[in-house]
Amino acid sequence: MQDRLRILEDLNMLYIRQIALSLQDTDIQKKIDHELRMREGACKLLAACTQREQALEATKSLLVCNSRIMAYMSELQRMKEAQVAQRTARRPSDAGPMDDRLPCRGKVCVSDLRIPLMWKDTEYFKNKGDLHRCAVFCLLQLGVEIYDTEMVLVDRTLTDICFENGVLFTEAGPDFELKVELYSAGLEEDSALGSTPKKLASKLSSSLGRSSGKRLRAALDGAPGSPVIPVALALPCAPGGPKYHLLAHTVLSLAEVQDSFRTHDLAITSNEESSFWLPLYGSMCCRLAAQPYCMAQQMMCGFLKLQVSLHPSLERLCWGGHGHGASLHWGARPSFPAGMSRAQTPRAWPPGCLGGCGVTLPLPLLAGQWKQCCDELMKIEVPSPRKPPALLAKQGSLYHEMAIEPVDDIEAVTDILARRVTALELRPDLGCPPWLSLFEGPLLSASHASITSDTASASPSRSRQSWGRPRTLSLDARLSTLKGRAGKGPATALRPLAGPPHSSSSSSGSTTPESERQGRRPTRSPLDPRSCLQSQV
Amino acid sequence: MSYIPGQPVTAVVQRVEIHKLRQGENLILGFSIGGGIDQDPAQNPFSEDKTDKVNGWDMTMVTHDQARKRLTKRNEEVVRLLVTRHSLQKAVQQSMMS
Repeated sequence: MQDRLRILEDLNMLYIRQIALSLQDTDIQKKIDHELRMREGACKLLAACTQREQALEATKSLLVCNSRIMAYMSELQRMKEAQVAQRTARRPSDAGPMDDRLPCRGKVCVSDLRIPLMWKDTEYFKNKGDLHRCAVFCLLQLGVEIYDTEMVLVDRTLTDICFENGVLFTEAGPDFELKVELYSAGLEEDSALGSTPKKLASKLSSSLGRSSGKRLRAALDGAPGSPVIPVALALPCAPGGPKYHLLAHTVLSLAEVQDSFRTHDLAITSNEESSFWLPLYGSMCCRLAAQPYCMAQQMMCGFLKLQVSLHPSLERLCWGGHGHGASLHWGARPSFPAGMSRAQTPRAWPPGCLGGCGVTLPLPLLAGQWKQCCDELMKIEVPSPRKPPALLAKQGSLYHEMAIEPVDDIEAVTDILARRVTALELRPDLGCPPWLSLFEGPLLSASHASITSDTASASPSRSRQSWGRPRTLSLDARLSTLKGRAGKGPATALRPLAGPPHSSSSSSGSTTPESERQGRRPTRSPLDPRSCLQSQV
Repeated sequence: MSYIPGQPVTAVVQRVEIHKLRQGENLILGFSIGGGIDQDPAQNPFSEDKTDKVNGWDMTMVTHDQARKRLTKRNEEVVRLLVTRHSLQKAVQQSMMS
């Protein structure tokens, strides 16, 4: 089955590449390749990660990559169809109007996205029942531009789902359709359920209460109504991982654009039985702003033909437009270059200036298609680049952290570590934590080797190290006393770890190159490109 | 401490919080840094302390320039570091062994 999927996908890709080649469009092909590489990376990350938040983030990336690939492929197909339609047209007019004058593009920004929830009174106030949590995010698509919001964990302690970061689209036309989709993945607190064999699971679900049983079965099967991903893209690289399902969606367009917070309707595509279900109020609030490029940039530069009846005041005519409006520079001569940033109707001209002029503006007034966006320039803030998620949530960190306080007391540190090691010995099923390797044989021999090399070339490196660095004096004092006391450690029931290195040949073997390197250090001149960079901070 | 670049590393770290000093119109830390993933580790003049994190930003895979930038941000008055120290690690290991 997997092989068949692979073959289908390869054929798909081949077909797409052929289309791209025939269209002589390398741009979209490059984007597809990029997304394919991202997808590979996300699959690998998903297979390697151990924590739930990482798996959720990786699955989200996978979903976004798939959507983008789909969008690019559809765009290529559409372009191909248009090209074919052009070629096979009997008469030029058959192909439809090839209008060079497209309405100008613009920026569209969605920010302050908020989706209210509607928990039942009993759930919210009395805090009854198990805490049902979901991981949600929004996928926003405008044309071929697809962006995702950050992932938010939602449970009944929240009244709204809030997405802080805005999303900016840069290639929107006035007839844009912004699709917003809310995806949700149910998080069962007891993760052991995920690996329960099917028969046992169905027995369990039938013996549990009706609603929770249904929810459980839905979680294991995959709820009905989930979007059908095309066969070629349904990569089976996330077996047993979290699954996102479409919870609700809506489409926004120019009519909804306003320079303030507005409420829009959401179409909900799930039911209460699903594991990923959340009680949505049914609406979505956001600020949808649009800024046509003609409002902010110079769109045209050329000659403006004027048919004027000569009026003495014309020579002193100057156009003091609004800040973002047209800036016309007039001169005394009738023909002059003029740069315009927006076509304005004559009534906006300063009063008393013209008196009897007629102006023919040879510009297509296509800015008007953006309607209300042209009345006033909407402020769009470019959303700041998002920090990588691993750094925001402590649980999602790539670091296995184990805070040990107080940090100055070595004995306290070793006490805690020793206790953890004994605790782990009693639970062999938990496996070996990564930090245990720190106290095992091979690393110990490496550190011993470096100890000997340190003492061997003590003077040159030490003298340099003592220069001007802040040192925690108390810690250093402790360290020196502890080194003397290395023989007597905390008396705990500790199984002796691998002892000090036995073969002196290994330590001396590794000493020589190190001491050689260290010995060579003082002779390197600071201007040597191979010496290490230093910076004062 | 020996490690293979690209592989996960385990270390005993110490939290250090430094409040920057004001020198004229700049905020400085008052020490120098050396190294970075783009530098030759054998040439590192300061091999004693290694910085793992600065104010939450990972420093295990940064170039010298990136490290310098993260330590010298204008709007940050306090720098919180997670530092690994060879002597600390050795001492903990020795205590564990006995």
